[in-house]
Amino acid sequence: MDLMHHSSTFLLPTIPLHHRPSLTYALVVLNQTLPRFAPLLWKHAQLRLCADGGANRVFDEMPLLFPEEDASDVRLRYKPDVINGDMDSIRKEVLDFYRSLGTKIIDKSHDQDTTDLHKCITYIWDFAPDANKSSLCILVAGALGGRYDHEMGNLNVLYCFSSLRIVLLSDDSLIYLLPRTHHHEIHIQTSVEGPHCGLIPIGAPSRSSTTTGLRWNLNNTEMRFGGLISSSNIVVGEKVTVQSDTDLLWTISIKKL
Amino acid sequence: MDLMHHSSTFLLPTIPLHHRPSLTYALVVLNQTLPRFAPLLWKHAQLRLCADGGANRVFDEMPLLFPEEDASDVRLRYKPDVINGDMDSIRKEVLDFYRSLGTKIIDKSHDQDTTDLHKCITYIWDFAPDANKSSLCILVAGALGGRYDHEMGNLNVLYCFSSLRIVLLSDDSLIYLLPRTHHHEIHIQTSVEGPHCGLIPIGAPSRSSTTTGLRWNLSKYMSTLL
Repeated sequence: MDLMHHSSTFLLPTIPLHHRPSLTYALVVLNQTLPRFAPLLWKHAQLRLCADGGANRVFDEMPLLFPEEDASDVRLRYKPDVINGDMDSIRKEVLDFYRSLGTKIIDKSHDQDTTDLHKCITYIWDFAPDANKSSLCILVAGALGGRYDHEMGNLNVLYCFSSLRIVLLSDDSLIYLLPRTHHHEIHIQTSVEGPHCGLIPIGAPSRSSTTTGLRWNLNNTEMRFGGLISSSNIVVGEKVTVQSDTDLLWTISIKKL
Repeated sequence: MDLMHHSSTFLLPTIPLHHRPSLTYALVVLNQTLPRFAPLLWKHAQLRLCADGGANRVFDEMPLLFPEEDASDVRLRYKPDVINGDMDSIRKEVLDFYRSLGTKIIDKSHDQDTTDLHKCITYIWDFAPDANKSSLCILVAGALGGRYDHEMGNLNVLYCFSSLRIVLLSDDSLIYLLPRTHHHEIHIQTSVEGPHCGLIPIGAPSRSSTTTGLRWNLSKYMSTLL
């Protein structure tokens, strides 16, 4: 079974030059309050999308993260490449503003079968050349909080696109899938994340999971809702390994600096 | 298979007298921003617990929900019956304040195997006479948001106590378990909830689910998602 490496370098001010794996980042902004490190994610991303009302958030809240600057300067600097979705939340003035700046507007209002996040991931999937898909990492801001059915729909997108690296980010935590198809090595960036973490068998119980690098490691341990799930765990040191018979959700706290 | 009835009457200003099922409410406050309807939940509850730092939230934020009143009056009025947990978040001044008012303090700092919510539910379970357990409904404020591993731990508590009615509440949504052991009738209180909703197979896939009353109903003839 192949080894898959993970590292939250996208939370570092600068990504080390020779860092492996070398990833290309895309950012999707959903319609929740921007995390305080949104400008950092924006900087690392080569493609920036807003899902519908996520554009309202960038328009309204990016200037608030740069209170010493003129709001219009900030808005010109943080211009999304694409706005995608069913367009039922974006304000007309915001849509017109970004359209006039050259942002590509993709109106999917006819499609009520998928969430706005799903539409954005599909767009990125179609956009990225096949050769690059394994080095792609999609950062999603605003996927948690708000309506719970939305949060669950966003979580499901991780499972629907399990061969893509997708990271859900809030002010407090980040979340990504550890597919059962791989052994996993998670390199902890202790300056920006941890120590609180968890491994969650959402979607299906796990008959056997094994870890190293946690305060309470799993050792061929069974996990399921209604029984044991690994929450309120602690990372010890800088490397965590995970292997499991089922897809697990990895979550770790983001430090408030 | 028996029928189980559900209704969010705890969100109504007054619970109708002859409403069935007739439930006894307990409220658990966790360490997140109080929902704006926290005083309403408090009013309906016969037992009010704070899990550790949830006491900080009641102390700090209840007065903010009554800005026209004196903060100390509000604090005296919203006095929890019990503070339970590992006590690593509650501020000393808050602990002393409620202790002096007679709140029961249960220090479970030796127990690192269960979450603060789990400890509170266990307390309520032990506290309620067996005869009353089926008419008990535990309302939990602050279970969502914040650290995601906490949120998942709180969700797991619903499954660990699947025979108890437990409702997780945030400003935006409420969540509860529909156990497979029953058919379910959910009576929608349209003045306070909806229309957005969802049915989520957390923990295990569902081969077959059937609904009525939704815009997009599930039918046993559909294959499952997730």
